[in-house]
Amino acid sequence: MDAPIYYSRAEYIETDTGNKVSRRATIAGPQNIILGGKTIIASGAIIRGDLRRTGPGHAVVISLGRYCLIGEGCVMRPPYKTYRGNFNYYPMKIGDHVHIGNGTIVEAATIGNHVEIGKNCIIGKFTIIKDCAKIADNTVIPPNTVVPALALFAGSPGQLVEDLPESTQEMVEAHTKGFYARFQPAAAER
Amino acid sequence: MPPIRDKFTIHSKAVVCQDVELKGDITIGAGTIVHPKATIFAIAGPIVIGAGCIIEEGVILVNRRVPSRLRLAFPHSSSSRKEVMRIGDDNIFEIGCRVECPSIGNFNTVSARARVHHTVRLSSYCVIGAACLVVPTEDEIVDEYTVIYGPAAERRIWSERGKIQEADLRKKHAEYLKEMLPKFNRLRRGDGT
Repeated sequence: MDAPIYYSRAEYIETDTGNKVSRRATIAGPQNIILGGKTIIASGAIIRGDLRRTGPGHAVVISLGRYCLIGEGCVMRPPYKTYRGNFNYYPMKIGDHVHIGNGTIVEAATIGNHVEIGKNCIIGKFTIIKDCAKIADNTVIPPNTVVPALALFAGSPGQLVEDLPESTQEMVEAHTKGFYARFQPAAAER
Repeated sequence: MPPIRDKFTIHSKAVVCQDVELKGDITIGAGTIVHPKATIFAIAGPIVIGAGCIIEEGVILVNRRVPSRLRLAFPHSSSSRKEVMRIGDDNIFEIGCRVECPSIGNFNTVSARARVHHTVRLSSYCVIGAACLVVPTEDEIVDEYTVIYGPAAERRIWSERGKIQEADLRKKHAEYLKEMLPKFNRLRRGDGT
C-alpha cells in the first residue's frame, strides 16, 4: 500500500459512519445533505445544501454515496432552472466511489458510481455523468451534457477522448477504498 | 497609500451573507444577493453595485485601477479623485470568477471561473464564458450583446434570442434567493442600520 496521508485530528470531524468532514469546509444547510459513509470532505470545500427545492416537508438537496472524496476548494451546488414558470433548484445525486479533484465546481444533476473527476474542472448545470466515467483535469463540461459510461472526457468544452477499459470499476473501487484507508489522523496527536 | 477605510452601505432589501469578505467603501443596491464566501475589495476606490445582481460563492470583485493619467501626473500622491467601480443592475457573477472592470452595465453574465482584467469595461448584455480569460493590454469597451467564449476567448454577437426568458429567469432567481438565503445563512447589515 502507498504511504498514508496524514491529517490533523483537530481539523476533521469523524462521524459514526466514517465520514470525515473538515472544519474548514463551508457547509450551508447541513440538514439537507446526506453523506453515505466513509466520505471525505476536504478543507475549503463549499457545499450548498441551503439551495433547496421549494415546497413543504424535508427536501434532500445533495446526496453523496460511500467512499466519496470532495477535494480542497471544491464547490458543490445544486443546479437551477425554471420549469413551467416556477424557478427552482433541483437536487444533486452522487453515487458511490466518486472522487472529485481540488478546485472543481460541480453543478451536475446526477453523477453515477465509480466516477473520477480531475482538478479545476467546471461541471455545468444539469450535467449527467454515468457510471465509471472519467473527467480529466481542467475540463469544462457545458450545461446539460450527458457523459456516457466508461468515457474519458477532456478539454474545453469537454469531449470524448477515449473509452475506458472494462476493469475501470474495480480499479476505481480499489483506489477510493485505498485512499480512505490511507487517510488517517497524524500519529503525533494520538 | 492611506489605510483603507471600511464603509458599507447595504440596501435594506439586499441580501448579503455574513461569511463575505468586504473591504473599503462599498455600496450594495436593492435586491442584490451576495452568497457566502464572496470577496469584494474596494482598494483603489469605492465599489457601487446596482440592484438585482447575484454574486455567487468565491467571486472576487476588486477595484484596483488607478486612473492612468493621475498615476502619470502624481505617481506618489493619493489623489482624492478616486475612480469608482460601477456595476449596473441585474448582473450575475458565477462561482469563482474574478472581475476588476471599472465599469459594468446591466444584465451581464460572467460565468464560472472567468477572469476579466481592469482594462476592460463591460457595456450591457455581455456574456463571458466559463473559465475565459479577458486580459487585453490596452483599455477596451466590450460592445453590447458580445459573447466571449471558449479557451481562446473568441467573440461573437448574441442574436438576442431568449432575452426575455433570460431576464425572467434572473429575476425569479434573485427573488428565490432573497426568500431562501436568510433561512439558512446569517445576514450582514450596512453601517447605517
